[in-house]
Parts: sequence; C-alpha cells; structure tokens
Amino acid sequence: MKSGQMNQHSGGKIPVNLILSNLAEDAEKARTRVEKASDVLLDKLDTQIAATPYEVVHQEDRVKLKHYKTKGAQKIKTPLLVVYALINRETMLDLQPGKSVVEKFQESGVNLYMIDWGYPTRKDRYLTIDDHVNGYIGDMVDVILAREKVKQINLMGICMGGSFCVMYTALNPRKVKNLITTVTPTNFDTNQGLLHVWMKNLDVDRLLKAYGNMPGDMMNFGFLLLNPARLMIDKYVGFMENIDNKAFVQDFMRMEKWIFDSPDVPGETFRQFTKDCYQKNLLIQSKMVIGGRRIDLKKITMPLLNYYGIYDHLVPPAACDQLTAAVGSKDVQDMSLKTGHIGIYVSSRCQQEFTPKIVNWLMKRDQPLKVVRKRKTTAKKRRPTGSDKSAVTKKTTAKKTVAKKTVAKKTASPGKGAVKPKGDK
Amino acid sequence: MDTEQQAKKDQPFQFDDWMKTSTAFFESMGKMWTDVYKTVAQPSKTNSPKGRKSGMHESLESGLKTWQSLYSAMSDSGSMDSFSKSAAVLPDIVMKMMQTGISGFLNIQNQWLQKAERIGKSTQAYKFENLSQNAFKAWQKMYEKEFKQFLNIPQLGLTREYQERMNLLTDQFNQFQSVAAEFFYLLNQPMEKSFQVLQEQVSVMADEGKLPDKSKEYYQMWIKILEGHYMTLFQSPEYAQSLYDTLGALSDFITARHKIVEDLLQSMPIPTQTDMDELYKEIYLLKKRVKALERQN
Repeated sequence: MKSGQMNQHSGGKIPVNLILSNLAEDAEKARTRVEKASDVLLDKLDTQIAATPYEVVHQEDRVKLKHYKTKGAQKIKTPLLVVYALINRETMLDLQPGKSVVEKFQESGVNLYMIDWGYPTRKDRYLTIDDHVNGYIGDMVDVILAREKVKQINLMGICMGGSFCVMYTALNPRKVKNLITTVTPTNFDTNQGLLHVWMKNLDVDRLLKAYGNMPGDMMNFGFLLLNPARLMIDKYVGFMENIDNKAFVQDFMRMEKWIFDSPDVPGETFRQFTKDCYQKNLLIQSKMVIGGRRIDLKKITMPLLNYYGIYDHLVPPAACDQLTAAVGSKDVQDMSLKTGHIGIYVSSRCQQEFTPKIVNWLMKRDQPLKVVRKRKTTAKKRRPTGSDKSAVTKKTTAKKTVAKKTVAKKTASPGKGAVKPKGDK
Repeated sequence: MDTEQQAKKDQPFQFDDWMKTSTAFFESMGKMWTDVYKTVAQPSKTNSPKGRKSGMHESLESGLKTWQSLYSAMSDSGSMDSFSKSAAVLPDIVMKMMQTGISGFLNIQNQWLQKAERIGKSTQAYKFENLSQNAFKAWQKMYEKEFKQFLNIPQLGLTREYQERMNLLTDQFNQFQSVAAEFFYLLNQPMEKSFQVLQEQVSVMADEGKLPDKSKEYYQMWIKILEGHYMTLFQSPEYAQSLYDTLGALSDFITARHKIVEDLLQSMPIPTQTDMDELYKEIYLLKKRVKALERQN
C-alpha cells in the first residue's frame, strides 16, 4: 500500500497495526530467504570469470597478448587490439558467458587481441608510461602486425588504457587505422568527479616512497570511498535481499571477484600519470612528453570513436568529451550512454548497444587504405551530410564547442537520447 | 697483640676501615638525597597532605637506617682508626660529583614533571565538551608541542642511529594514529547525521500521517540521506585535507617501519628492500639498453 493511500484510509493517524504486520511479514520472508540461502551458498556455484577460450600469442615480462578467435567468419579485416587499464583487470570484458564483450566481438567476426597486464611486482616499480606505451603496447602491436600480415590495427582503449592508446596513436599514427576510446580520461582539469578533486593535491612522491608501487587495495579503498553508502552498504543489502537467488548470487560473486582483483600500479607510471595528467593536465593540451617525445594530439588523424558514461563518477563526461575536439582527425564521434564507469561493459542494456555500435562503426571504416584516403580528401571539401552524421569536419567542431556542452547536458537529462553523435544538432 | 696490630697495618685493604668510610659516604648521600629532594620537590609540596612524608623520602630514610644497622652488626669500632687520610678524601670527591650529577638529573626530571603538569594547558583554546574534530586537532597540537620533542632528543653513542630510527618510527606511528582517528571520525559523521535527519523526517511524516508501512522504504530513505551526507562531506576541504594528512602520515609511518626492518635484516643473510630496489633498477636499465641495442641491429 502506498503511503498516500494509507493516509486516506487512516485519516492522518499512524497505522501501527499495519506497520507491525508488515514487519512480521518481512521477518517471515527473511527467515524463508535465509533457509533457501544456505542451499544456494552450499551448492556448487558457477562464478568463473574470463571463461572465453584464448591463446597467449606473445609474452613480454608479465605482460601477455591474448588472441580470441572469431566464431564463424572474420567480418572485419583489420584486427582489433583492446588495451585495458592498469587498474583492475581486463577480465571485466568477459565476466560471464552471454554477457561478455569479448564474446560479442567474437560473434561479430572481429579478430580480437587483448593485453593482459598481469600483476606488477616490486621489480616493476621503475616502469614508466613510456615503457607501457612505446614498450609493451608498441611491441604487442608489432607482433599483431607481423602475425596478421597487415600494416595497421584497430586500437580500442579502456579507461587509463584508453589514455595509453591516445598516447600511442599520437606517437605512431601510421600503425593505427581506427581509434576507439571508452571511458577514457584525457582532460583532467575538472571537478566533476571526486577522484579528480582528490588527485589534484595528492602527495604521490610520499606515497610511492613508502610503497614503491601504488597498491591496488589502497586504490580500491579509495574507489569505495567515492560512494560508501552505495558501495559498502546498499550493495550488500541488495545481496542479502537476493541471497536465495542462485543466478543473482553467481552474478554478484563474479562482479565481486573482478572488482577486488586489483593489481598494483607500477610506481613511476602512477607518479607520472598523477603529476602530468591529474595535476598538470598535459595530455589534452598536447604538452605531455614520454620517452623524450611530445604527445601531439593533432597527429591523431584516423577515425575516432569516443564512448563515455553520463553517470560515470570515476571518469566523468567532462574528463572524456574534449578529446574529439583536440585531435587532428576529421572523422570523430562522441557516444554517451546513460550508465556509469563499468555499466558500459557489463549492463545488459548497454551491451546491446555498445558492442554492435563499435562493430558497425569499424565495418564502415574497414576499407582498404587507398579508399579511406580518398574519402578523407573528399571530406575536407564538403560538410557532413545527413547520411553520414557521425563524420564531422574540424571546422564544425571548433565552432560548436559551446553548443557541444549544451548537448552533453541535454543527453544527461531523462527522456533525451543518450547517444550523442558529434555535430548532430 | 702487637703481632696482630702489625699484621693489620701491613694489609693493603682493611674491611673495617672500608665499612667506616662507606657508612660515612652513605650517611652523606642520604643527607644529600634528602636535601636535593626537598629542593626540587618544593613546588609540589602543596599537593602532599600536610605532615605526611612522601614515599620517596620515606624510602630514603628507611634505606639509610637499614644500612646503619647493617654496619653496626658487621663493624668493629676498634679497627676504624687506621683508615688512611687519602682514602677518606676519595668519597668526598665522588660524593660531590654524584651530587652534581644527581641534582642535574633530578632537575631535568622535575622539568619533565612540570611539563607533564602543563599538558593540556597549552591547548585550552580547544573545547572538549563536545566530541568534535577540534578534539583531534587539539591532540595533534598537544602531541607536537608536548610529546614529540622527547622523541627528538639527540641520541648518543654507537647505537645512536638505530635509536633515532626507533624514535622516528614511534613518532610516525603516533602521528598516523592521530590523523587516522580524525579521518575515521569524519567518515562516521554522515552515519550519525543521517540517522538524525531520518528521525526528523519520520517525525514530520508521522505528524502528517504519511508514515511508510514497509521497512524497506525507511531503509531507502536513510540510504539516500546517507549518500547525500557523504557527497557533501567528500566535497569539503576539511575532508580532503584529512585524507591527505592520513595518506601522508601512513606513508611516513611505513617508510620509518621499513627502515627498522632493514636494520634487523642487515644482521641476517637476507637482502633488504633497498638492496633489492637497487638490483631491480639495474635490471630495468640493463633491459632497456638491451632492447635499444636489439632495435639498432
């Protein structure tokens, strides 16, 4: 019974009898639930994550290159390399059969490679961003190019892995055919997310002097503190309410396994990312230097698809949505989904939209190099037509910067379409 | 008898002479301790009940009496005459040296006691009536001003560096405890406040006769209030500062702890973290050079 209805019946008095009877009912439900829960918890639970078979085709130190064979015919010629963040693990893309980004790529005919960063130890504390970007990612790309006998790959980055992909692509534009960034922070000068606020004054030198690497557990504790009411209380209340539901418990445990599987981040990499990105915001300004080379975002001239979550509290929209305006590419597209940082990859609703969109976007651009070059030349001469709304000229982007922000706000409001193709006004 | 006396004179050390001298020494010592104690304990005299001797005074007198009775039982008065003048002078010198040293030591001790009496007075500006963040600030200030300096007293001798590192560890631990207590206090604030707000809201709803009849709805109300309070807290500069202080103090404590562990490891055939870090860096640099050379070829 709704409280409004109750008020009508009770005429403003407190319905003590009703409250007590509901409490008794709740207690009875809880008792039944606990009885069933023991059956569920003692039963064999399938909580395995990253169950999709793969082959490790290359390994350098602790870093592995995983290859997932397509299910059926390969529909996209250019192989796709997915680079996950150094925080948490790439297994998030393959949490469970039927709800797996990896599986969806396989089924769509994408020749998929993925980097597994492994678990850095104390000996990895001196590894810099340059070692990750030009070292590991660079070597993995070369291995794929040689293995697949192609000259370019499609590159997709997730979160910090996306930032690494942006860096790699700016330094090696000829090796990347299409770039996809998802929940990727590139603009760090924002107060939208608490993480950005807190990182601005973090004494990273003091922290790393003590720890060497940035401990994964400490980072996880920090993430929990971003919203303790939901992440430390409500989440487990929800679990207790569904503890008699085997499927729910299995899904919950898979997520729990993933979320607390937190490798440490190599010290020097964390130091540079904190200082150059969070504190100086050098990346979006094309001022960041790695391995002695400046990362000029204007060198990113290939098609760029930029995904982010409107309700992402770790990498908020303001941290993501400036990239498309900063790169040199003429074929750029921002896509925002009504979800959070992880929801893009794991929620059933987003999965129906996210992976198919990427596959279609890649398919449209998976043409021989010559054809693409010809189209790009044409694009310079004409404004985007209605049939190709995602392709936007730089001129349009620059002029509509203010308008773009308005669109972002609108997409965040309920009832509006969440997908935001750039220039689609 | 003459033979016995002659034999006594020929002995290089005579027990009864030593007894007499040492008794004189301890009589003087006892007097000195009493005098010194009376001097340094003067400011606290008012605290003792009237006409009642302190425990320390009593134990001194008691010790002296014990020694005197022991001496009476053991000494022979006839054998004390032959104590040489030079031997009698020595205890006086030693006594004076001791008096100076002990007086100085007691003065230091007295100063420390006075400092201990002052603890809390330097932070009177902060109120402790209500448990608030000020209490933690007051404790931090008090620690910095009254306690920390003891851990910074210069250490001496061969083990100086080890002792300094132990003192540093103690200091860092205390500081971490202090800021962590404040941090967790802040984290607990939204919990307390959210319950208060919930009670107020429920009260209003009860007045309006709109009380939800399902317990889940109360929980949903509370979790929303709690979330709101946390968001407000997390955006406050006080919270950010407390977070930085806690992380910084934790880092400093861990660094100090590592140094102690390294001191212990150095006595064993086990490499320290510093040793390993140096090795890791060498390997890292060598690998980079090898990779660069491979690329050149």
